[in-house]
Amino acid sequence: MTDIPSPEPRSILRLRLPGKNTGLVIGFGIIGTFLLLAILAPFVAPFDPVQQNPDLRLTPPSWAHPFGTDNFGRDMLSRVIWGARIDLQITLLGVLFPFIIGTIVGTVAGFFGGIVDTIFMRIIDIVLAFPFLVLMLSVIAILGPGLTSFYIAMALVGWVSYARLIRAQILVLKTKDFAVAAQSLGFSRTRIMFRHLLPNALAGSIVFAMSDVVLVLLNGAAISYLGLGVQPPTAEWGIMVAEGQSFISRAWWIPFFPGVSIVVLAFGFSLLGDALSDIWGRLE
Amino acid sequence: MTPLLTVDTLSVTFEAENESRRLLRDVSLELGPSEILGLVGESGSGKSLLCRTIIGLKPSPNMHITGGDIRLGDTSIPGLPEREMINLRGRRIGMIFQNPTSHLNPLIRIGDQICEGLRRHRGLSQADATKEAINLLDQVGFPDPPRNFRSYAHEFSGGMRQRAMIAIALACDPEILIADEPTTALDVTIQAQILELLVELRRKRGLSIILITHDLGVVAQTCDRIAVMQEGRIVETGEKRALLSAPQHPYTQKMIASHPSFEAKAAGTNAPATIHPKPVYQINDLEVRFPGTGGWFRKREDFRALAGVSLEIMPGETVGIVGESGSGKSTLARTIMGLTPIASGAVSYAGDPITATSTLTRIRHEVAMVFQDPYNALNPRMTVAETLREVLLTQGETPKSGIDARCGELLDMVGLDRSFLNRRPGSLSGGQCQRVGIARALAVNPNVIIADESVAALDVTIQAQIIDLFRDLSDRLGLTLIFIAHDLAIVRDLCSRVVVMHHGRIVETGPTAEVFANPSQSYTADLIAAIPNIDPDRPLARAGHATAITK
Repeated sequence: MTDIPSPEPRSILRLRLPGKNTGLVIGFGIIGTFLLLAILAPFVAPFDPVQQNPDLRLTPPSWAHPFGTDNFGRDMLSRVIWGARIDLQITLLGVLFPFIIGTIVGTVAGFFGGIVDTIFMRIIDIVLAFPFLVLMLSVIAILGPGLTSFYIAMALVGWVSYARLIRAQILVLKTKDFAVAAQSLGFSRTRIMFRHLLPNALAGSIVFAMSDVVLVLLNGAAISYLGLGVQPPTAEWGIMVAEGQSFISRAWWIPFFPGVSIVVLAFGFSLLGDALSDIWGRLE
Repeated sequence: MTPLLTVDTLSVTFEAENESRRLLRDVSLELGPSEILGLVGESGSGKSLLCRTIIGLKPSPNMHITGGDIRLGDTSIPGLPEREMINLRGRRIGMIFQNPTSHLNPLIRIGDQICEGLRRHRGLSQADATKEAINLLDQVGFPDPPRNFRSYAHEFSGGMRQRAMIAIALACDPEILIADEPTTALDVTIQAQILELLVELRRKRGLSIILITHDLGVVAQTCDRIAVMQEGRIVETGEKRALLSAPQHPYTQKMIASHPSFEAKAAGTNAPATIHPKPVYQINDLEVRFPGTGGWFRKREDFRALAGVSLEIMPGETVGIVGESGSGKSTLARTIMGLTPIASGAVSYAGDPITATSTLTRIRHEVAMVFQDPYNALNPRMTVAETLREVLLTQGETPKSGIDARCGELLDMVGLDRSFLNRRPGSLSGGQCQRVGIARALAVNPNVIIADESVAALDVTIQAQIIDLFRDLSDRLGLTLIFIAHDLAIVRDLCSRVVVMHHGRIVETGPTAEVFANPSQSYTADLIAAIPNIDPDRPLARAGHATAITK
């Protein structure tokens, strides 16, 4: 027999990426860059982010101020760099707490079923019955404004989606033979839940967490805009976008650069999320 | 006789980024008019791929025909444009699949699914199509065609669904029917009915059939010619009697030798050791119920999975529990493992009731279970070593320092190389996974092993190896083995005593040889008779009500 003929010509439009882990590399690159900027902010930022300079109000981007200045004459580049500190913290903690709580609740509810499941599911229904922001605002209003309150509110309100995702996975997994096998081998329930079921259920929530990052960022901005989160004059991208909106016709650069930063960071997280869930799912 | 379908030195290659594998190599076949050709081979041998290539439905766009030709009459199939393929599929070649449940649309009435093909391919009006569909349902053996026409797939049993699939395939009056493992998912008695239906359809309509299966018994009972596939090649083809009585290729010989046929030696009657007069398990009038789902206005009725089951299992005994799906075999296994609550009656393990926590702890240390689906039974995230180590740690009998050595020993016992320790289930074959499953059961250092359909998902040659392993282990370690299977031939080879279950009750029990030679219940007799024998001259017995077709 003849050898294998050459494969059919492939579409030129098809994106050829150099390696399998391209997403991981780019994602890590983006987040790593922001992380570095955040850590090195005092050294990298050319100006003090809160130093007002009335002479330089609303200067368009130039060599001295590459991102321009805002309505108080503060250097936008420095503010964006300093903002990375707060925003990375908001995204990481704002996703981490709900993720952990939701994962534990979902696992327990799915595994035990019955009355435990019913109770948690009804609590979730109650939480979901209120608009997300309204519930957040009332929690923050009780605790008093500030970032700590924001994290607590996120944890109290945000866990429901993770709990539902994980619970659904656990319900499917616990009927699988390996779960029954673990039971028949006398493993403890905690062990079955967290060693056997949970690792197999995580992939979906990791991806969700990475896309949740964007929502958390925007929530943080909304809360700060209402004066309940990050307090001015601290540089935070969400507030910067919010403040810049009134100048958008005269000074497009004020909302533009922080906005782009949010989008790029979100893109980085979603690439990372995809790559992570691939790696997590790879079982060879 | 001019062949209806010719496959001529066909090769199919899988091409991805940087790998290329030949999945089919120079396959040549001929199918004559109203002939039944059996295509046999183990999973991965390329039999399904061959058939899907014939109807132009390659499972992946990365697969290409790289040589050879397929001709249907005078038409060459590989060159046909998709428009004409659509007309050919269904109209000239019909296909039925292994799992009728997933290939029937659950939201469309059975009758409408048949009509769809009738109207599309034969251009019938709705009224004519309905009439024809009812006629077809009658032909494939539905008891009340006009009523069944309006039913949905979930209202039928597996066997009836497969009949519905056949009716859909026949709707377009094809010349060729490709049946891909049509009876694998069905019970033996139902399997016998479906196979009989296929033979009858061939006789009545002059249909040519390609029957894909891994069971040589099925082929022996229904086909005229057999083609044996291995690793993408056809290694042997011939008239069935000639091929089965004098196989040429070593692979065919191995397959025939592995077939758990009735001629094989019956299991040794190693009488239960009389040293322990106390039974391991004593089951008295056991009843297990599952909560049922009632409608809004109907009372909830519990489903009774086991009703009045009484059984004693002696130490060192090898007991086979057989029955069709839904007969309660698996429920019985799970109940005596203490995994399913008991509604009434009593189960005692070594004299103590299993409902007591202390007994349950003992069971966890002394009874181990091997599951049906080898892939599902292992945690996909854990390596073989992690899986075994975890059991050894939990059992706490092996000192921590000896655990690694013990893992190695366990793999030796089940005949796996120690290099498998760092592999995950995803990179193992079905047979290898099952061996790991058995190693895990042995890690418990059990007195009793409960094997729930542990070989049902494996290819015949692998099946034979695993059964040998079980036999060897139970002899060597003096284990009590409770072996659950729907395949009576396997039980006969392995077990000294057999228990037949039907609808949650034990209908017959006794020494294997006796039960098989003289079944006292008609149900047992039906089960035994329905097993397709590898000897083509022992016709398939007709189970139950089926109509006579053999002369």
